[in-house]
Amino acid sequence: MTHQTLATPHAIDIQSAIPLLRLLNPKQHTRIMLASLAVGLLVSYLAVAMGWLPLWGATALTLIVLLPAGVLKWRDDHRRYGATLMGLSILVTAQGLHTVEHLVQWAQYHLLYLTMRQSNGLLSPANAEWVHFTWNWLVLIAVVALMVGGMRGGWMWLLFAVAFFHTIEHSYTFIRYQMILRELTAMDVLNVTAQGLPGIVGRDGWLARSELTRGTWICTIPGLTTAVRLDVHFWWNAIEMTLLVIAGHFYLRKQFGKTA
Amino acid sequence: MSLTRFVVPLLLAGCLCSAQQTHLPATTVAPPLHTVATTVVATPLQASVVCSGAFVTHRLDFTTGTRLREIGTYISNGAGVAANDLDNDGDLDLVFASVDGEGEILWNEGNLQFTSAPLDDRFARGVAIVDANADGWNDIVFTHRGLEGVTYWRNLGGAPRPTFARTPLPGVDHYAYAMAWGDVDGDGDLDLVTGSYGAELKQHGIDAPEDDPQAGVVLHLQGDDAWTAQTLDPHAETLSIAILDVTNDSQPEIWAANDFALDDRLWQRDGDVWHQIHPFAQTSYSTMTTEWGDIANDGRRALFTTDMNPYDISPRNLAAWMPVLNQLVPHNRADDVQVMANVLLIGDGRGGWQNQATARGVDATGWSWDARFGDLDQDGYLDLYIVNGMIAADLFGHLPNGELVEENQAYRNRGNGSFDRMPQWQLGATASGRGMIMADIDNDGDLDIVINNLRGFAQLYENQLCSGANLQVDLTWSGSQNIHAIGAQLALHTDKGILRRDVRASGGYLSGDPVRVHFGIPAEARLDRLEIEWPDGKVSLVDAPPRNNLLTVTR
Repeated sequence: MTHQTLATPHAIDIQSAIPLLRLLNPKQHTRIMLASLAVGLLVSYLAVAMGWLPLWGATALTLIVLLPAGVLKWRDDHRRYGATLMGLSILVTAQGLHTVEHLVQWAQYHLLYLTMRQSNGLLSPANAEWVHFTWNWLVLIAVVALMVGGMRGGWMWLLFAVAFFHTIEHSYTFIRYQMILRELTAMDVLNVTAQGLPGIVGRDGWLARSELTRGTWICTIPGLTTAVRLDVHFWWNAIEMTLLVIAGHFYLRKQFGKTA
Repeated sequence: MSLTRFVVPLLLAGCLCSAQQTHLPATTVAPPLHTVATTVVATPLQASVVCSGAFVTHRLDFTTGTRLREIGTYISNGAGVAANDLDNDGDLDLVFASVDGEGEILWNEGNLQFTSAPLDDRFARGVAIVDANADGWNDIVFTHRGLEGVTYWRNLGGAPRPTFARTPLPGVDHYAYAMAWGDVDGDGDLDLVTGSYGAELKQHGIDAPEDDPQAGVVLHLQGDDAWTAQTLDPHAETLSIAILDVTNDSQPEIWAANDFALDDRLWQRDGDVWHQIHPFAQTSYSTMTTEWGDIANDGRRALFTTDMNPYDISPRNLAAWMPVLNQLVPHNRADDVQVMANVLLIGDGRGGWQNQATARGVDATGWSWDARFGDLDQDGYLDLYIVNGMIAADLFGHLPNGELVEENQAYRNRGNGSFDRMPQWQLGATASGRGMIMADIDNDGDLDIVINNLRGFAQLYENQLCSGANLQVDLTWSGSQNIHAIGAQLALHTDKGILRRDVRASGGYLSGDPVRVHFGIPAEARLDRLEIEWPDGKVSLVDAPPRNNLLTVTR
């Protein structure tokens, strides 16, 4: 079945030119995917409109509704292409959705001119630190798993490096978040959030404050110590997504060509 | 246009006035039309014999904020301090403003000894010592909390101590929190710019300060018998005002720094009309102070403003800030240039100004109030000192005594306009500083620092670094209504570069600078000449000025 599918002549030219589209194509699960999306959006909209759920809850609900269709699609990917490509399919899909989250934040801040704290995206209002800390560790683990599964090469190593440092950044902010919460609790301040503080890079981050780097040439690199956290993480994510797409493209081209 | 191309050795005349003073030699070359003759008297400054390599703290006999059981906003903003020679004895005297009591003069008796004399001016904010009426005696001007304007204490002269009479300034009756003095219209006399603080006016029952004709940023032009007022902007949350030439058009602009989301303003004069210009790529969000100087000795002026931004990002310190930080999150709008950080603007040579505070290491100094450039170590480059801290029970109720305790921040100029922290100078006081001045209080040639602390004793930091050399300059413009030549530009040419300073009477946060100009000089530097560009554009030149001297230059 797998060999047959891979050997099938390309029905759409663009899918042969961009093999990622071929991998991501829901194929026979398109209808259930679209139906799940429609139901998820409708229910979520009603839930928000009726005040039953906050926006992040509705977003989570939509994802949950989409999950069965996704599982069907990824199970099919596994059957057709094997575990590594299924993993790639999951990662590209999930990272794509995460990119949407960052795009929404970017639009809220730069286009709608919401404040930094209001520019929280769709899911992050749940808890930006937990969401991004968990997410970036999962991405890093997934990247390592793909590399173990054979998806290597320069782009993949670059992706690994970026994902690694992005995860370090979120681990730094997450640990400090917990430490600040502990300090606030010790002061009996229980109703104050400590989310959204700067990390290693960006405005007011560790690089900008450390005596090792403060006021050095490092702080003259555009954005490195001056960009706001929202922009920093938009770019972290954009770079990761770009590298993932490029690495996936070359890997899939090789894999599909091998089996064609 | 370089002044040096036209300036020839200046005619210096006069006689020896005292055993300690030296009259510099006169030349016989007639100066060009735009140069003016001066008399120069040099008085040697005796360097300190005690050299600890740091600053030594002295407690001064003055407190403000200690009479209140609890300090909340906006008593929390404290008050200023001014230094100048009030009794014409050559020493710089101090005047403190008080938010909860009367002001105080500290007469400088020499050797860092002071005699206190209360001045019955209560609930003040800013203070400046300026000879507003050009009678040869420096007067005292206060701004105030709430619904008060400026009070003017005319110096009546007299020995051994002058007396002061509270005297109205006809036509000057606007609410005044901040002020600046300078000849803004080029007519030769000193004008006054005041700014009100809307947030505090609201506390005093004025719901819409912008609709109150007594509020706003107001230009008061001095006339023969009265002052004429012109409101530049009815919106004002003004914490600091500066008068300086930002645009290099040889005319001063008016720069008003506003708290909260209200943008800082800059006005340029076009004939009798003042219009706003917007050359700054970024400004501080809650701008507390304005300061400027040539920090790289490259002829380009740097503009510095302070804001609230923690320098210590340890979890413990951030936790102390968090409840307030969450309230202070700036708004966001399309054309907003504000950033919640100190801003160091460097001119790009094309009329624009770019923020380089982060690149040069001075973007975060805590809850910062006053900031001053001054060559503390006398290596020829302007260093930077910033006072900080906050006391407000309604903001920091989660901290002991409602106080955010921070260390004042001292920075040494690396010689290129970037800065290193200098904890070894021992200037990291944890008192809650507000107004501050740098001046040579003990007449040893180097710059000392005086701070008006909220809810604590005022402090004087005696400079015992004992490095480098210095030259100080007092200008006297005889027959002028701007007798101390406020606004004059000075350039000291040395074989190590050109050092630039200007004469000011007010500055920073609520404080009054001395008109005496200080140059720090590298020990091995050769002094070639001192160029003085007077406020009317005329130029004087002093050849080979002697180091470690106070030059009194009289036009």
